[in-house]
Amino acid sequence: MSDTLFDDGSEQDDIQEDVMTPAELIAKLEEAWLNEKFSPELLESRSEVVECVMEQLTHMEANLQRVKKGDAKASVHRMEIDRIRFVLSSYLRSRLQKIEKFFPHVLEREKSRGDSYPSLLSPEEFAFAKEYHANTESYLKAVALKRMPPNLQTVDMLKAVPEPCLDSFVFLRVKERQENILVEPETDDQREYVVDLEEGSQHLMRYRTIAPLVSSGAVQLI
Amino acid sequence: MTTSSGPWSDCMPASLAAREILCVVNVREKSHQTRPNQTNKMDPSEVEFLAEKETVKIIPNFSLDKIFLIGGDLGPFNPGLPVDVPVWLALNLKQRQKCRIVPPEWMEVEKLEDIREQERKEKTFTPVPSPYYMELTKLLLNHASDNIPKADEIRTLVKDIWDTRIAKLRLSTDSFISQQEAHAKLDNLTLMEINTIRAFFLDSLNCMYKLRSNLQPGSSQGQFMDY
Amino acid sequence: MNMQSYFPVPPGVGMEENFLSLDDILLSHERLPVRSDCAFPRLGFLEKSADTQDIAEGTKMELPLWLTKGLYEKKRKVVSVELPKVYREGWRTVFNADPNVVDLHKMGPYYYSLGSQLLHFDSPENPDIAQTLLQTFIGRFRRTMDSSQNAYNEDTSAVVERLDSLEKGLFRSGQIGLNGFQSWEKGQATQLTASSLVLNYRKRKITDIQP
Repeated sequence: MSDTLFDDGSEQDDIQEDVMTPAELIAKLEEAWLNEKFSPELLESRSEVVECVMEQLTHMEANLQRVKKGDAKASVHRMEIDRIRFVLSSYLRSRLQKIEKFFPHVLEREKSRGDSYPSLLSPEEFAFAKEYHANTESYLKAVALKRMPPNLQTVDMLKAVPEPCLDSFVFLRVKERQENILVEPETDDQREYVVDLEEGSQHLMRYRTIAPLVSSGAVQLI
Repeated sequence: MTTSSGPWSDCMPASLAAREILCVVNVREKSHQTRPNQTNKMDPSEVEFLAEKETVKIIPNFSLDKIFLIGGDLGPFNPGLPVDVPVWLALNLKQRQKCRIVPPEWMEVEKLEDIREQERKEKTFTPVPSPYYMELTKLLLNHASDNIPKADEIRTLVKDIWDTRIAKLRLSTDSFISQQEAHAKLDNLTLMEINTIRAFFLDSLNCMYKLRSNLQPGSSQGQFMDY
Repeated sequence: MNMQSYFPVPPGVGMEENFLSLDDILLSHERLPVRSDCAFPRLGFLEKSADTQDIAEGTKMELPLWLTKGLYEKKRKVVSVELPKVYREGWRTVFNADPNVVDLHKMGPYYYSLGSQLLHFDSPENPDIAQTLLQTFIGRFRRTMDSSQNAYNEDTSAVVERLDSLEKGLFRSGQIGLNGFQSWEKGQATQLTASSLVLNYRKRKITDIQP
């Protein structure tokens, strides 16, 4: 993770130690939300952002408990909390949807990753994926597979469930200027060429080409 | 006999009957669940949600100290003194008759007429006054039309601009597909504009990609293999 | 299947079928003209037109795609697959001239998918078939898009009924995008509606009460 500030701060109650302001934190959450919504594959979990946002919300809600009813400021705070909560749950939900959609591949990747690579999933998501996999298998077994001839009683989920298509096109906005991004030809009579992605410009191109830039935060999917 | 690409460990034709049962079972079970939005799709109301973060000037009729929100500080509010707030708050205060909304400076008949002319004249997308011009027009005109002079004319102008741009968007979508292009620069397009065509466009590109990979037999991974 | 509340598995489209896709299952039932290159003892029941116990070598018959794929082997002659009419040279010329005149629903409805599946069977015409499939899709794209994006309260059934199943899927996603925007514009998006889960639950409760 590029957010080194979270590496030690995420477990602690006092968020003031972080160099990131709460406003920047919310912006990070919104970035993660849109990226997750539009990327064809499951992205790395931003648990540290989620945890910090949760802390902010809990903290704010605790403060609001002490405010007396009808306070004009409190209602504004509550509206803001609702909006942040919406983004947070939409973010988590779109991750769960992708886990459901690609569960065998998500679990396979988790199994094959080396210790030096971070997990894509939060511990809760990992538990969810495992459980979803087990439930799907036992359900299919109970309603259909156990009545089939013995040689047909196993289904390879990795083959049955389509993989995410990394060749999908995505819309993106550039946050940090990038030079010499290789655009592969679409047809035989085209040639590959390079483009520079200027800061603030918007593009339509294959996700595979710019996937590393999404995880580094240099581009934002839109 | 043969091993095909099917997920059955031992793939014989009979497995296909089994596949149908599995599939139907799978579908029937899942149809009870509710899923409002799928991945890769965005609802227009979610784009509107993002637009509500834009700031707008209001003239409050109450006084209140600074509010320290998580997303930044607001205020202080003094009667008659203009102050910047996010649109979501402006609309809320307006609904409670706590303020008057000052329309953004581009939301004015003459300016919009110029933009409309420009948009009709140019072949490419011209810069828009706000990345959320459509959403803000709708939000402000629906909730604060009494604060916006010539609201009806503005509504029509913005709709004209929108229609011109969407027609261009369709033209460029078609040429992107027919030229089989690999990259397009889309500056000046707004999120709401992209969003109206997103699912259709991206799904079409995916289909085209698959049909094109047919041209290189052996390149597609799941082909019908020899043993 | 317009308003699905679950994730349907989309069709594979190319040479790969998606195992859990309903469209691909229907596709696998499409029949192909084949010729047996060896005798199939006691499989006469597969060939409904003749009342024999065996299928003799050289028998011409129609078999569904799934069975053909299962029987076909590149190295050993078991069955040979003939091209259905729409994929032969005569029709390919028609498609290359003007893909928009063809009623792909009548000729398909799995024109693209079945065509891609045919590439599994060795044929010298394969590259031409693949090329025609792609060019047909591109040539018809504008129409598919216009019908899905301009269909503002218009009856589009005449256009839609001539679309292949793949194009129909695209037409639907275009319509969903357009309708979503239009109902947002009219302010309908702000009205909350009960989820189908709740509605189903209520229905179930009523039936539970009834004896």
